[in-house]
Amino acid sequence: MDDVLTTAKSCRHYAMCKIDFLNSGICPSGPERGYDSFYPQGRMALYAALAEGRTPVTRGVVEVAESCDLCGKCDYQCYFVTEMRPTRVMAALKDFVARHIRSGGTVERAAEDSLLKEIRAIVGEEWAENDRGIAAAYSRDPGPLTQPRTPAYVVLPGTRGEVSALLRLLHEKGIPWSVRGNGSQNMGLVLSEGAVIDLCRMKDIVFDEKNWVVRVGAGVSAFEAQREAVRRGYRVNVAEPAALVCANVVCSGIFSTFMPSYGVAAGNFVDADFVARDGSLFSLSEKTAPNLFAFRPTDQESPGICTGLSLKLHPTTPDESGILIPFASREEALRFIKDCSIRRIGLAISLLGPEYASVFLAPTKRLAAEVKDVFTEKLGIPYLVLLIGDAYAIRSVAEMGRPAFDQRLFRAIALGLPSLRSAPWLELLDRISADEPYSYLKIKSFAEMAEVALAPSPKQLCRDVDPDLRPFFERLFARPEMTDLVWLSMFRILSARMGREKQFSVNIVFLPLEEKLIGEIIEEFRQVADRHRLKHDLGFITPIDEGKRCLLEYDYFFDQNDPDEIARTRRAAQDAGAVIEAYSSRLGTIRWIRHVVNQGVSRSENLLYT
Amino acid sequence: MRERANGGRPRTFILTGATGFLGGHLMAALLERGDRLVVLGRASKGMPLRERISRYLDWLGQADRSDQVETAESDFLRPFCGLSAARYEALRSRALPIIHSASDTRFSELKRREIVEANVHGLKGILELAGDSRAPFFHYISTAYAAGIGQTRCPERVEVSGAFANVYEESKAQAEQNVIAACRRRKIPYTLIRPSIVYGDSRTGRSTRFNALYFHVRSLQLIRDIYLNDIRTNDGRKSREHGAALDENGILHLPLRVILPRRGSLNLVPIDYFVSATLAILDEPKEGFIYHLTSPHSKDLEELAAYCESFLKIKGIEFRYGPPNGEPVSPPEALLNRFIESYRPYLADARHFERDHTDQATGGLPVPELTYENFKRCVDYAVSVGWDAGHVS
Repeated sequence: MDDVLTTAKSCRHYAMCKIDFLNSGICPSGPERGYDSFYPQGRMALYAALAEGRTPVTRGVVEVAESCDLCGKCDYQCYFVTEMRPTRVMAALKDFVARHIRSGGTVERAAEDSLLKEIRAIVGEEWAENDRGIAAAYSRDPGPLTQPRTPAYVVLPGTRGEVSALLRLLHEKGIPWSVRGNGSQNMGLVLSEGAVIDLCRMKDIVFDEKNWVVRVGAGVSAFEAQREAVRRGYRVNVAEPAALVCANVVCSGIFSTFMPSYGVAAGNFVDADFVARDGSLFSLSEKTAPNLFAFRPTDQESPGICTGLSLKLHPTTPDESGILIPFASREEALRFIKDCSIRRIGLAISLLGPEYASVFLAPTKRLAAEVKDVFTEKLGIPYLVLLIGDAYAIRSVAEMGRPAFDQRLFRAIALGLPSLRSAPWLELLDRISADEPYSYLKIKSFAEMAEVALAPSPKQLCRDVDPDLRPFFERLFARPEMTDLVWLSMFRILSARMGREKQFSVNIVFLPLEEKLIGEIIEEFRQVADRHRLKHDLGFITPIDEGKRCLLEYDYFFDQNDPDEIARTRRAAQDAGAVIEAYSSRLGTIRWIRHVVNQGVSRSENLLYT
Repeated sequence: MRERANGGRPRTFILTGATGFLGGHLMAALLERGDRLVVLGRASKGMPLRERISRYLDWLGQADRSDQVETAESDFLRPFCGLSAARYEALRSRALPIIHSASDTRFSELKRREIVEANVHGLKGILELAGDSRAPFFHYISTAYAAGIGQTRCPERVEVSGAFANVYEESKAQAEQNVIAACRRRKIPYTLIRPSIVYGDSRTGRSTRFNALYFHVRSLQLIRDIYLNDIRTNDGRKSREHGAALDENGILHLPLRVILPRRGSLNLVPIDYFVSATLAILDEPKEGFIYHLTSPHSKDLEELAAYCESFLKIKGIEFRYGPPNGEPVSPPEALLNRFIESYRPYLADARHFERDHTDQATGGLPVPELTYENFKRCVDYAVSVGWDAGHVS
């Protein structure tokens, strides 16, 4: 496989190219045309399909190729997350199509069939397609559990009414369908041979500040919702930045580091609008609505399409900041997060594994590996707890005797990472830590000293970045929010870096916040990964509901272009699922994310305790 | 070849702490003069005791004498020192003199439990072995600072002090009491050998441990290097903010004020003196005697600071005496303060140690003075090995 094709086939489908998370602007053809194929993510899939002969050159393919002006914005976005350079794939796509046309190749024009005509009558001429090139971007998912399926139709409804009419039509014609967010879903629920309904046009964001809600349409991403909320001085509890809020709530109940204070599942919203599978309408707060607040620990059918959500707005205070608290053992860290949760200290709190912390911080894979080594080996920090809180919360942690990396020190380290790897003074820090772990963090003005030692600067941080991208990234990292723990925790733009080295498959469970149980389950996950020879690591653990429960993510990493590794990951996911099922039926207190899919709008009490 | 006093015949000792700084050097010296040793100790980080001892002897140039050493992996907190019944019985029946050098030398109050366990509770097993075997002598390697901080003139006798600079001193004082009580009860002759702060070999500069004196130099060196790097590779703006500047002679001017309650001095002896004096004591030990292996001339701290400045090519260390005056502390001062925090009581030390017993036992063996040349030799060695004796330390 050549480098360009490898890049095209390595797209993680995180859809980070669909949101303007770097304030660099996004590929303009995407919002204009809507279809995934007009975003870099879709073009990557399209090029791979063309290069491998899975799709013909169609009218849609030509339009997609022509819509790219090789501006390079996708390089900024994708490099930030994965270190990949999509622009060369875009160039290869244009070149492929141009050569095809020059050599007299045919350009397929899909004929409008009667169903497409009816669909177009509902959503408008330009928002439904049966073009095989357009559909190629909706045919695959890099998760380990999916098989490719190319949809016959791709439909982009713009309103709840259109969604309703569309579902009635599809129901009447017996056409299977799936609904699709910005990226993909690693259980393959976004793929269909019938119609794929892409909700990207439903981007309404309406604030009702008197009632502390913001109403978001089904096409609004977490990043967009958070950005608008922050502009007005609020915060919303959302998850991965490119994920569409409505879809994310339905599929996961929203897990974030803010769960300890803002809750989970139905705790996140006041009302939700649905279109049922037969096209009928209901809102969850209606007396006559189906009881989606209930939860059952089994696989559930989709209740329909969530077309809008009244998301809770949360107040913020100007004294909020973040700290990172180091721990030598997972048990000690768990005791701490539980204690904070019981005492209601902090707005957001999460225990991060070493892979998470280092990968999040470092702009390149190489630096991430070095930073992980510095943290775990030189500084003896295998675990970090992230805590966001107001001044009182931060002071409470200090009063609990916990040394912490404060915001200023975090900034020094984040921008001085390349110096950290070769800093001889770390050994002395480790030595004074032998008396009292991490006590150097209590040294007055240690952050200022670290600034001298690490010479933190955007330029320093970007030393290893590709030379032509350096000026952009230096400007980017000069922005205060890029090293602001509060901002980073709200917008979560770093978490997608988890998949920088390899794609990852998640094991997520809600369970009691008990050290022994968590230790046992982590050990089981570890053994499964070892048995299937997969790289693996603890992702994060976040307390919920005063520390009675928590959410645990444990990740398996795999090469999405290696069939053997995919097969091993599939088996590992099945084995890990069996572990969860066994614990769940034995204890009755564990909930598997698989069962939360389609039940994420349930009452949190039902989800966690019934 | 070291010689034995009065031309005595080679003997066999039980030695603990042989993988430590003092015990290791003592082991090598005893072997060098033909004595044999039964070394009791632990495996560490997967390395068996035998290998640890071999590596230490190799480092000390005594690898060919390892056949004079028997090793027995032990745990002094367990019955019979963690030895099998047969091994314990065999050892007991030999009735050997014992040198107990094993010790936890950390100062941290947070490590009190481990320190007390090693230095006080761990003593019980070895004292029982001494009693059970009717050991001809029990030599306890203590510390001059077991005298406590309640007195400025420290005689070579046990005077119970209620005040100690840290848990290490306290645990060693308690251990001395326990040694005396147990030995009197079991009628075992004993000595207490109390060295002060021991640094590397005054002739070669070599050492396996780089704490105490070395730690201060290293702390200053690291702080210096942070500023030199800032000045040389960055624009030095931060350095200027902290008052740091490099002059035309390559001297870094870095204001570092250290506030101490009073002017103090450090009592320092080189490892070669500790070894020679201990061998002399072992040859003709006096029952119940305490020996201060200390320097008659403690080193004034300001003089030591001047040594550091010369060696590191820095200027700006300034001592101020009296209570903290509330002046703002600069970042490098705060860092230095934290680095030296556990040694702080010794920096203002005014204790003077009598040493008549030692002079008598050693025939007035002179204590090599810590001149700048000796200091430089020792620190040069530390720098040359990267402040790390590797597998020996």
